[in-house]
Amino acid sequence: MRKGTATRVTWLVVAVTLLGSIVVAGWFAPEFLSRPNLAARELGPLAAPPLGTDTMGISLVEYALQGANVVGVPAMMSALLVALLATLAGLARCAGVGWLDSVLALFQELVGALPRLVVILVVAIAMPPDYRSLLPIGLAWAILSAPAAMDEAAATAGRLGGARFVEALRAHGFTAMRIYVYHIVWLNLRSVIVRQGAEILMQVVFLEIALSYLAVSQQQPAFTHSDSVHSWASLLYDGYTWLVASVPMGHAMALGLTLVALVAFMAQSFRLSARPR
Amino acid sequence: MRWWIRPLVRTLAALLLPLIIPAIITLILWALPGDPVEIVCPPELCTGGDKLAEARRLHAGPWFFYRWWVWDALHLEFGTSWRVASGFPVGALMAEAIPATALLVVLAMLPVLLGAVFAAVGWAPKRADPLLQAFGTLPAVILSLVFAAVVEINYGALSYEGWPGALRLIFGALVLGVADNALAGSVIGTRSVFEAEMNQRYIGMALLRGETVLWNALPNVLPALVGQFRGRVIHLLSGAVVVEVVLGISGLGSQLWDGTLLQDFGVVMASAWAFAVFSSLLLMLQALVEVGTAIYVRRAPAVPA
Repeated sequence: MRKGTATRVTWLVVAVTLLGSIVVAGWFAPEFLSRPNLAARELGPLAAPPLGTDTMGISLVEYALQGANVVGVPAMMSALLVALLATLAGLARCAGVGWLDSVLALFQELVGALPRLVVILVVAIAMPPDYRSLLPIGLAWAILSAPAAMDEAAATAGRLGGARFVEALRAHGFTAMRIYVYHIVWLNLRSVIVRQGAEILMQVVFLEIALSYLAVSQQQPAFTHSDSVHSWASLLYDGYTWLVASVPMGHAMALGLTLVALVAFMAQSFRLSARPR
Repeated sequence: MRWWIRPLVRTLAALLLPLIIPAIITLILWALPGDPVEIVCPPELCTGGDKLAEARRLHAGPWFFYRWWVWDALHLEFGTSWRVASGFPVGALMAEAIPATALLVVLAMLPVLLGAVFAAVGWAPKRADPLLQAFGTLPAVILSLVFAAVVEINYGALSYEGWPGALRLIFGALVLGVADNALAGSVIGTRSVFEAEMNQRYIGMALLRGETVLWNALPNVLPALVGQFRGRVIHLLSGAVVVEVVLGISGLGSQLWDGTLLQDFGVVMASAWAFAVFSSLLLMLQALVEVGTAIYVRRAPAVPA
């Protein structure tokens, strides 16, 4: 294996392991938090391994698992949606379908002109309280973010030569499947698609944390999960009390920031795994 | 693609946007379970729902409501708040909120514009890109939390007036301008546009003639730069929601958030419409710049007789 390929494979393994850990951790998340244990409140990781407890004596492991459950699948689905839309835009440019290019341009103009968080709040207001989930919000975020990804994929395909590139490969006797799937998507669009997908994956997780934090800080139910579930934002909220009121919850802040950093590292690993040669 | 198609599409999008946003919210209002009147006036909590529905034009279906809402909005009349400040004119709430958000976004644009200028003239070293990108990965909510803590530790949790209030605004602008890759995107985006243009043959000709590269390249890169600028302003406006709520800035974003939490469709529609109108203005600006640039670069040079 060449050195560059080995490096890319290593980053891919790291990224997939991290993503897999989040999804699998979500499967093990308890449906409800344990009963409060006031005798064990605000304990650090050394006193109550492995991650310490919150102000009610509940282990932070449960918060971490529930948070993973909230973000894992919706973030992945959102990333896949963006990757799919970017692929379509790239293929449309290569297929030389003029009207589709124009329709995509209008879609990009309209959707790209919308302030994303404003639309997300409009989506949030539409969700009945009993069906609150990150999935519709994440998918809406993916659609709103798609124009940039589609634009880049279309530009990359355009640099290949667009329809002329396909024509040249056809002249070599390649099948349409091989041209579009292998030569265009795998060899040329892969880096754009994976990078944009990874970006959205990270953004959806951060969006969930932001929305949940805003709700938690105002003692309101979150838009992204039911009331029995806690997001990683709860860890940051507890940690914030350590910052401003010296409540001994610094370990919650450390855990929250570590999880955020892990998500950012996972996205970066995906980007590095798909670097063009 | 002909040069006028993109500006035309942008103009169409700009005209459609302020009509689409209220249409979507109206559809949502009627798509929610139950009668829209019950959202304004839950039967178990209040009486006189019919009169209230008539006053808010909810009694004759979504099309009637939408038509009148858009007509009133064009006259800057937004009715009264449903829940955030019940009975209070939404227009007055907006008049209080818009200046704060405008100031926040203008201040946040400073680092972004400075970064773009530095990249354009070549003062932003490429070596600093990974650092900028790493810093830009920080989510706005985390940075906002840090700055909110700084203000609250030093001035108290309820310090919204005077210097602490100004400090919240400055920190908010700093967060918006740096977090979520705003600054890194500005520097790298502007540089890449210029670098691509530098490979053109006419730039070499300009150098041989002893002309400055920047002024030769600028007309050709201007539409792309204005497009990037529009994207960044939209990005900042979007981020303003989180920053305003965490840092306690009473702007349009925090008003929209309150409206969403309390299902106050009066506030949500007006705030979202304000965002849409601003975005439309930016789209129009980009279209105008594109048309102006196209006319300028296609103008036949004056040849001396």
